[in-house]
Amino acid sequence: MNRRQQRTYIILRTIYFIARYWQWSYRLLILYLLLSLIAPPSPRTIMDTPQIVETTKPHLCVHTRVIDEVFEFNIQRTFQMVREMGASTIVEFFPWAYFENSPSNVDWSRADMIIRHAQTQGLTVIARMGFVPEWARPAEAGEFTTLNELPEDSYDEFANFVAAFAARYAGTVEHLIIWNEPNLALEWGYHPPDPAAYTELLKVVYPVVKQANPDVMILAGALAPTLEPVDSPHGMNDLFYLEAMYQAGASAYFDALAVHTYGLTFPADDDPAPDKLNFRRVELLHELILRYDSADKPVYITESGWNDHPRWTKAVRPSQRIQYTLDALDWVANEWSWAKTMCLWAFRYPRYTYSYPDNFMLVGVGFERTPIYVALQAYARDIIPEGNLWLPPPAVSSTR
Amino acid sequence: MVAPTRRILYALILLTIAGIGVWLVISQLEPPPTMTERAFPYGEIRIGVDASFPPFAVDDGTTVYGIDIDLGNAIGAYYGVPVRFINIGYDALYDVLTTDKADIVISALLINPLRTQEVRYTRHYFDNGLVLVSPNEQPFTSMAALSGQRLSIEFGSPADAEARYWLRRITAFNLLPYELPNYALDAVRMGDADAALVDATTYFLYQREQPDWQVRYHHVTNSFYAIATRIDRLDTWQLVEDALWIFAADGTLEKILRKWL
Repeated sequence: MNRRQQRTYIILRTIYFIARYWQWSYRLLILYLLLSLIAPPSPRTIMDTPQIVETTKPHLCVHTRVIDEVFEFNIQRTFQMVREMGASTIVEFFPWAYFENSPSNVDWSRADMIIRHAQTQGLTVIARMGFVPEWARPAEAGEFTTLNELPEDSYDEFANFVAAFAARYAGTVEHLIIWNEPNLALEWGYHPPDPAAYTELLKVVYPVVKQANPDVMILAGALAPTLEPVDSPHGMNDLFYLEAMYQAGASAYFDALAVHTYGLTFPADDDPAPDKLNFRRVELLHELILRYDSADKPVYITESGWNDHPRWTKAVRPSQRIQYTLDALDWVANEWSWAKTMCLWAFRYPRYTYSYPDNFMLVGVGFERTPIYVALQAYARDIIPEGNLWLPPPAVSSTR
Repeated sequence: MVAPTRRILYALILLTIAGIGVWLVISQLEPPPTMTERAFPYGEIRIGVDASFPPFAVDDGTTVYGIDIDLGNAIGAYYGVPVRFINIGYDALYDVLTTDKADIVISALLINPLRTQEVRYTRHYFDNGLVLVSPNEQPFTSMAALSGQRLSIEFGSPADAEARYWLRRITAFNLLPYELPNYALDAVRMGDADAALVDATTYFLYQREQPDWQVRYHHVTNSFYAIATRIDRLDTWQLVEDALWIFAADGTLEKILRKWL
């Protein structure tokens, strides 16, 4: 047979088989349909009935990271576990870049879904605003910019987005954090931190947002606690930065100061000092408020906590993490009347880093409770824990 | 009319002038950059590292040291290019690549598929996955063999999550939670547990402290640490990748790991 004959033969054989066994074809089709009926359905998320947070510690708050979570049911589970732990407030990131892919083309569906789930669980949302869409950070050919690059020309667009957010969620989201850790180069588009430029940003954002929603509270700062030297390319000391903000006229353009404070290896009551990073560093920032601003201006601790990774140089043991965290919450309630929340970083990441940042989490990626979660739940809801979390060390231990 | 001999003479003169001109132009041109120069265009290898994570990288205030530091120095020595470490926080590791503040990142960095649109990873140089550690006399080579046994873990760790996952799959084993992963290993050493599930680094460091302890380990999960370069820096990636393969073949990598683990 030549090639043409071969081809003709194959086509004829195929037609023959279809004609000969066509009844099997529809039988297979019916079998497929039956199997698809008994196959498990893809996961769906059914909205809970509205819940109330049961807590004796209303200042307990957590920073969630659900914006990068793929599945809606994981977002719901996150907020359920936050409520069950006894935290009544969350900080969540709403990146401009995720919502406004092109100018004036905003897709709110994801933000709507997140806020709806938070509301259903009875949680108050503090929204952190940042991340610049590509169209708002034009770069020259060959130049790479990060999501934290906000050119001065785009301050207006950013303000418009924040104002639109404030208007859309008026009555639901009452606190907005303008930018994150602008005193770090990495959070400021890899440019040297510039308190005057950040103050300019506040001056542009504040009136526009207030016009859109007069009741919303503008939180500024959210400065990273750092002791970077004056000429460091990586960041600016948070105390210097806040002072410079005030000197640039920031006072009238924010309603409260957002603060990040980490205990690192120190206990919660460790005395503050300008050359030390510890939990009570907040007091030094508050002294600046008293010096330059209204004594009534509140502080929201929007990131805090301790890390219990076994090898990170700035971590403590899990039992110390529990003790220090609970002590810190008591300290906020008893000593700092001006502090409104203490939000712990971070409730859960969508995936493990398999490095020390994982040990900031309160629950595992698979929603496994960590010791700190169990302890916080007992603390906030006056629950007596069921026995010890872990066994005592073996009789002859290598680690003390 | 010009005589033929003259014509030839003029042609030779013109050719000579043209030749000299071409030679002068060529001599002014710089030679094309070598691959090493293209890979490290700043005349040094700028390495981003978070030096707070022993034994990979630690900054004691005067110097930085660890596996990642030795690896970076070895790459620099191999290509004869000086090395400069940029010590930054974990959150900034990818941004220093994106913004061209560093050529490569060596920082116990897990290969993350979600980052592969912006960075290119090399082959891995260490697997810090979870390992099942059990005594030589009664070794366990897989989690499936643990039914009815005692498994020690660090409470709330990825090992805890992995163990609970296996509890849903096989006949139950007794899960023994401890505060620290070293306690979980102590439990096996003291006979309080039949096996422990910990990350590979924890196990290797513990074994250094207890060199006479006869145990076996088997990987249950993989967590590959690799070096990252920016996605468009193909030459950089290629040279670092080549160096890692050579270090794996000639024993350099093993030597560095053995020094610290």
